[in-house]
Amino acid sequence: MNHATCRNPVFCLLPPYVLREIARNGSPEQREVATRALASDGTFRSLRQVTTPSRTPRMGTSGALDPEGQKRRTIYDVGNTQDLPGRVARAEGQGPSGDTAVDEAYDGLGATYDFFWEVYRRDSIDDDGLPLDGHVHFGVDYTNAFWDGTRMVFGDGDGELFNRFTISLDVIGHELSHGVTQYKSGLNYFKQPGALNEHLSDVYGSLVKQYLLGQTAEEADWTIGAGLLAEGVNGVALRSMKEPGTAFDDPVLGKDPQPAHMDDFVRTFEDNGGVHINSGIPNRAFYLTAAALGGNAWEVAGRIWNATAIDPRLKPDTGFRRFARLTARAAASLYGPGGLEERAVRAAWDGVGIPAA
Amino acid sequence: MRLKFRTEGGFASFPGLRAPVEIDTGELQEEEATELVRCVEEARFFQRPEGPEEPPPGSADLRLYTVEVEEGAWSHTVRVYEPVGDPALRALIDALDARAKALRRARRKQGSEGDR
Repeated sequence: MNHATCRNPVFCLLPPYVLREIARNGSPEQREVATRALASDGTFRSLRQVTTPSRTPRMGTSGALDPEGQKRRTIYDVGNTQDLPGRVARAEGQGPSGDTAVDEAYDGLGATYDFFWEVYRRDSIDDDGLPLDGHVHFGVDYTNAFWDGTRMVFGDGDGELFNRFTISLDVIGHELSHGVTQYKSGLNYFKQPGALNEHLSDVYGSLVKQYLLGQTAEEADWTIGAGLLAEGVNGVALRSMKEPGTAFDDPVLGKDPQPAHMDDFVRTFEDNGGVHINSGIPNRAFYLTAAALGGNAWEVAGRIWNATAIDPRLKPDTGFRRFARLTARAAASLYGPGGLEERAVRAAWDGVGIPAA
Repeated sequence: MRLKFRTEGGFASFPGLRAPVEIDTGELQEEEATELVRCVEEARFFQRPEGPEEPPPGSADLRLYTVEVEEGAWSHTVRVYEPVGDPALRALIDALDARAKALRRARRKQGSEGDR
């Protein structure tokens, strides 16, 4: 266990299973500290009970033999400027830097890489060991995190509405997963395909967190960005996959605009045609599938969605209905036609007003 | 000079942050008004293409800024995705963002007083 990353020394001494309990059942502050302690590299690697994958030697871009399943992270400190890339603050294998945002980004990228590799055997976002670059302390009081096509960039937040964007593991997982979509389906970032692009990032982001915490579908909070809203803001997170439209209702931020059903689909040209708005509909379909199947969401529901995300029939212009059909087909091909899994998927889409037939 | 500033997109959609901020420099403190006018001039705002330039392929969660400036008979709009590379245009957007933030702060204060 990596003692230097622990902010509260008590959490350094606790065995992982106790940390997991706290991460699940503690007060919000305890949960946050426990989650961070679990996420720090040494800890969660030892937590993984899965068989270590065989390390097949592979020719890397450098021409040298790179083992698969080896992550290569670099975290840059942009020093509250906007001059990317910034200076290297922590490279792969280096110990904690002592800078919270740097270490959260490092651990978060590690947790996301490990999730994709251990659960879906995906070797980084391109499935070819692409190095992962995170850039923190971007801008002054910067209130966003984004994927620019090659790297993840995180602002510190303004402390009034938003805390630092590295605070939530699912936000880090979300950003990295945009890279997966970019390398696989290339879903357009506009209207329904854009909402599906957002949806897949929320699914993966949430699963990264659930996997790390060892939470079942029932135990998970199904939020995106818990802890990101500053103190005094009336809200629990940026989005809720379980109950879209209920994450915040605040005099300054307004009310969470996400619909949970096709009846409330929002037609707009803003936000690239509502990509962060209408993603609530497929998000809820995923939640309903995972809840119906029970157990760990990454094992069955996640596998169905991951198979859909990498299905060549998922095109850049795919809309909700076609996506729903592809998930049903993926369920049928993975677990047998007409089985419990396919029926759960179809019922979930029915539940949000999208026929998967 | 009249300015209108709008931010959309970003990691999540917040209805309260989408609303455009309108500024009439005639209603500002002189120092703030002078600063905004200077930013518009230094950004060579009226010579800029309307945009926005396409963001990089595969990118996501980028905010899109829309700035409208009216000065006498002149009126021009510029749309740009973050991160804004040009330092002069960024300075203008930062100044407008600071103004938007101050207005939000006032709104939160009003909101909490209304709750009492």
